[in-house]
Amino acid sequence: MQHSEKTEVALMAETIVKEEGKYVYCVANAAEEVSLGEIGIEGDEVYTIPYRDICAVVHRCPAQPYQSDDQELVKAWVVAHQKVVDAAWERWGTVLPLGFDTIIRGEAEESAEQKVKDWLKQEYEDIKRIIEKVRGKAEYGVQVFWNPKLVAQNLTQTSLEIRNLEEEIKTKPEGLAYMYRQRLGNLMKREMETKADECFKDFYGRIRKHTDDIRVEKTKKVEPSLSMIMNLSCLVYRDRYSELGEELDKINRMEGFSVRFTGPWPPYSFVGGS
Amino acid sequence: MEPTRNSHATLVDLLDRVLDKGLVINADLIISLAGVPLIGVNLRVALAGMETMLRYGVMKEWDERTRAWECEQRQKNVEPIYSA
Repeated sequence: MQHSEKTEVALMAETIVKEEGKYVYCVANAAEEVSLGEIGIEGDEVYTIPYRDICAVVHRCPAQPYQSDDQELVKAWVVAHQKVVDAAWERWGTVLPLGFDTIIRGEAEESAEQKVKDWLKQEYEDIKRIIEKVRGKAEYGVQVFWNPKLVAQNLTQTSLEIRNLEEEIKTKPEGLAYMYRQRLGNLMKREMETKADECFKDFYGRIRKHTDDIRVEKTKKVEPSLSMIMNLSCLVYRDRYSELGEELDKINRMEGFSVRFTGPWPPYSFVGGS
Repeated sequence: MEPTRNSHATLVDLLDRVLDKGLVINADLIISLAGVPLIGVNLRVALAGMETMLRYGVMKEWDERTRAWECEQRQKNVEPIYSA
């Protein structure tokens, strides 16, 4: 009886080892095999697995994803993930960050550690190419907003077509005026889009000049009085961001426009596939 | 202007990056998240108190057209404009 129990425990231990995973935070441009201390997302020890002159920054974990409905917990995990990437970035200068919850799983015939090494080996050329691309640079977020009410007001003042239509509405009986108001609405929408187009192309050209690479992200809804017309991720030399900041100042000073400038971020948007 | 990374004010910007982006590992090496509800989607909605995408926005088509335009521009002009 006792014997079989022991066997069961031994079997369980074996299963755990087999199913061990490595949570990967980033790949750093360094040959070091070192511990960064207990700074992982749940206080786990973070350390490096090297291959040639690069290394993966990982912690040891069960081969199952971190998941929770507790938003505060998820928030804390994500922030901790970023702190580890930041620590590696600070220490080694160039890192390729991975997204949250990327876990390489071990198998019976091959440990997770070995799999990480094999992955680094297999992707070595690509990883080095991306390292060269982002070396010395950081990612900055640029979001441009406009106040749609103010823009619409200005359009009403400057567009002859809109003014004429507004005048015409006043002379029409109620039923007809309704149709005219719809036409006005459509016209307004078209003019707003044309205006947004002009702004986008103008700002894009001006911002692009100060960046090494750029990604245009989807715009988001914020609030009715503030609509986002531009959402960019910019790859910029770390010591050249002030030029970008000056350009953004000019946009920020335009009436009805505002700019959000965030960073420096590790180059999350410039290490992926697309 | 100076960039900010104040942890509270830029949490959404952080989530956009940490949850959607980064270096990709071949799917056969990593734990599959298939069937697991996308972590963070609800969190982002709650945090920002807004729709993440322009899904219902009047300018959705405009947004798509603009991004398509930019994509073309970038392909035509692959060399970085940045002067060293």
